Amino acid sequence: MISTDATCAGTAATPKDFKSPLKPIWCPGCGDYGVLNALYRALAAIGRPPHEIAFVSGIGCSSRIPGYTTAYGFNTVHGRALPIAQGIKLANPELLVLVAGGDGDGFSIGGGHVPHAIRRNADLTYIVMDNQVYGLTKGQVSPTSPRGTRARSSVYGSMESPVNPLLYTLAYGAGFVAQGIPGDMDGLAAIIEEGIRYPGFAFINVQSPCVSFGEPDNQVKVQRTRMRKLAAEGHDPSNRLRAIELAQDYGQELYTGVFYRNPNPPPTHGSQIKALQDERKALKAGVTPTLSASDTHPTCC
Amino acid sequence: MNDLIIGMAGSGGDGIISAGESLIGAVAAEGYYGMLTKSYGPQIRGGESSCRLRVSTLPVLNPGGSLDVAVILDWDDFLRFGSELPVTEDTVIIFDLKSGVDRTSLPLNALWPKVLCGVPLEDMAIETAGVQQAKNSVILGLLAGWLGLSPDNLLVGLRKKFARKGDEVLAGNERAFAAGLGHARVNPLGRNLRLDRPATPLKQRIIADGNELCAKGAIAAGCTFFGGYPITPATEIMQHLQTDIWEHGGVVLQAEDEIAGVGAALGASFAGKKAMTATSGPGLSLKTEMLGLASVTELPLVCVDVQRGGPSTGMPTKCEQADLFAAVFSAHGDTVRPVLAPTTVADTYGLTVEAFNLAEQYQTPVILLSDQDIAQRKEIIDPVDPSRLSLVNRLEPTAAELQDYTRFRLTSSGISPLSHPGMKGGNYLAAGIEHDEHGAPTANGEIHGEMNHKRLVKFLPLRGRHDLFVMEGNPDSPLGIIAWGSVAGIAQEALRIVRAEGLDARLMIPKLLYPIAEEVFADFFAPLTRCIVFEQSHQGQLYRLIRMWVNVPPQFESYARSGANPLSPEDFVSQIRKLSRAGLRKEHADRADFLNPL
Ligand SMILES: Cc1ncc(C[n+]2csc(CCOP(=O)(O)OP(=O)(O)O)c2C)c(N)n1
Ligand code: SF4
Ligand SMILES: [Mg+2]
Repeated sequence: MISTDATCAGTAATPKDFKSPLKPIWCPGCGDYGVLNALYRALAAIGRPPHEIAFVSGIGCSSRIPGYTTAYGFNTVHGRALPIAQGIKLANPELLVLVAGGDGDGFSIGGGHVPHAIRRNADLTYIVMDNQVYGLTKGQVSPTSPRGTRARSSVYGSMESPVNPLLYTLAYGAGFVAQGIPGDMDGLAAIIEEGIRYPGFAFINVQSPCVSFGEPDNQVKVQRTRMRKLAAEGHDPSNRLRAIELAQDYGQELYTGVFYRNPNPPPTHGSQIKALQDERKALKAGVTPTLSASDTHPTCC
Repeated sequence: MNDLIIGMAGSGGDGIISAGESLIGAVAAEGYYGMLTKSYGPQIRGGESSCRLRVSTLPVLNPGGSLDVAVILDWDDFLRFGSELPVTEDTVIIFDLKSGVDRTSLPLNALWPKVLCGVPLEDMAIETAGVQQAKNSVILGLLAGWLGLSPDNLLVGLRKKFARKGDEVLAGNERAFAAGLGHARVNPLGRNLRLDRPATPLKQRIIADGNELCAKGAIAAGCTFFGGYPITPATEIMQHLQTDIWEHGGVVLQAEDEIAGVGAALGASFAGKKAMTATSGPGLSLKTEMLGLASVTELPLVCVDVQRGGPSTGMPTKCEQADLFAAVFSAHGDTVRPVLAPTTVADTYGLTVEAFNLAEQYQTPVILLSDQDIAQRKEIIDPVDPSRLSLVNRLEPTAAELQDYTRFRLTSSGISPLSHPGMKGGNYLAAGIEHDEHGAPTANGEIHGEMNHKRLVKFLPLRGRHDLFVMEGNPDSPLGIIAWGSVAGIAQEALRIVRAEGLDARLMIPKLLYPIAEEVFADFFAPLTRCIVFEQSHQGQLYRLIRMWVNVPPQFESYARSGANPLSPEDFVSQIRKLSRAGLRKEHADRADFLNPL
């Protein structure tokens, strides 16, 4: 098997327990390595055994990530990780379900699924590795590329304004919105852990640089000097309006940390479904369902 | 008489459909079999509507051809349905005198029905109930009288229908009904429409449509997850499941689109549950990529496609059998997925269960190719006993296998044990990207070949699934007939007609459309010199699919018509006769051109 399930009851989990023997295909220096390491740490802190974790992704460099963990992985099709993850979570609410992918995967081809996962408050943690470029297809503009980006598909400069993933998810009503960078491993691991612990849909935008096709002046080391920790700036993550204000600066300021955490999370999709199932089961207890004449009175309508 | 076809047409508010439903309820209660089909104009609400009810002492195979009785509330509305409500000079025409039409001004294209019966329907409704909406109750009274149905059975339905509308409304409709009944008693028709008593002893039967039985079949099969998006004519499957599934610990997700619907279902299957999605043509197109993902990750999944007129938006409320190619071929790469087609409402139940069984057995997506006719027509059928179904569950790894689990292990059957999240030791990567036995991504040609083989070889046992084919007629006859889906019932009746005339033939109804069951087809074709395939598409899609896979009889013909064109047993009978008389060709004629071969 490609994955092991090393955490045994009783022994504390370590990041190594979540590391699969598969060697990442990413370019040396790719930001996604840092995201993976931060994730190992967060999962160790959470302590759920790998076989109780389902890790779903779309297609892209970043979407390779489930295979590098020991969790049950599902590397699906481009842009569709969120619906698949919701099916998994609803089918087995006991599982810890993680979703990951790129900016193109999440905000271009899969953009239509984001608001719906949020409005259902699906209990998922969604990590987008936002490198402002299509990495896997070798350097076309992505929905988060700044206007004027010269890329392989826009040699004279792109004409579209970028979408703002932070503002989008906040506006859709996400209860947890955060941003991190791979250069700040401790910070990123803490954000991922907090996102997983949040009861409901948690969105984490990671500014994860692409060394091969990204902006040379926006790489891991540079980011470290540019980042502004929200906590250090005194931001209160329960203040949604302030979070929205700060999120406007996406593309200019590199804020890291939690923009917004809903202090009163609404019920999750799964908990509402569970309640309905219990109610219907109680109502039908003792009644054996049959397909018989009693089901359909001859005077149908 | 033992078989009667009644057609009715009016405007939206006339309650024509509800009259049809009351009538089918009443004939069911008397022990008859029946089939009710409905047809609407393009308007969302209001507009013209019609229904046809075929009542028989024996199980009804199809909606039938020309009408024995036509009830016409409005001539324009009636004529708009054209060939869906065909009349002949033997059709008894009952119409509202209010329309002003009489024997001299019949808008029937110089057709002179022998029995023409004008009734002051609207006046009677207003007189008795005070409102013209009670016309349909007058009609029920008239038909009860002329057909010899028990008024009590019709009144049961009437009371149920008006229970919530208050005593006043109910009393008015009861008076309208009585007036119709009285009118029929004092005005005998020029033709006897009295039905023979039912042949079989009175049994409690059920009335259902295909979509309802698809939903019930899914639950019986153990489906606990449905993801879908509303689309005519498949929506009712989601609606029925939405009321029933929760108590089984299941979930219905009305997704944001068809892709998300099938995606969520696939996710649920990955998590170990039996899952389904349902749609019609446009939705099937959207689900295609996800079906390919299910094939390559070898996850069970049932996808229902209730066919409507296509391509594109096509004709949402009309029936067609033109999604066969899409069901079979619409995914890139070397994939095969089983495609099943139910032939009746009752059949939909068992075949839905079979779809789940095949999906679980072979770890594959399965398409259940229903059609608008079967999905939305109501039939009176004998109750089904869910306890007699046999259910298949996916092969799971044993404790020993979990010690060293290999998800995509190459086995001789092509089937390898399937774990799911939560199962310790079963951790694996499911990926759309090509993978080796362990699930690790690969671009190695040799492994790709082996994996393709694994994913195809598992379907070999389907080649001999004789039980998924219905055969009728003389096995030695040189004349063959093939029909599928809702068209099968029409062919079945045509076969019985020609055999009664002394023309020998043999009919095959495939419920497994793909992969083509080569053994079954070879057996069927062996004695044949001529064979005709009846279907409702322009190209004759099954005809062409068969020719792709098996050697066909010397004279292999297609009779295919685009959707929304009614097909009738009489029509098929004349085609069969023609084929039986035609001179036998020495060699197979080339039918390479893709236009309708006829
Ligand atoms: C339906 C479909 N369309 C296009 C592609 C090709 N494709 C693969 S990844 C990708 C974009 C990747 O960009 P992003 O999601 O930002 O991920 P990254 O590689 O940057 O991590 C594209 C267009 C595909 N695999 N499937
Ligand atoms: S192309 Fe860019 S995103 Fe992809 S692996 Fe290389 S550096 Fe990372
Ligand atoms: Mg990207």
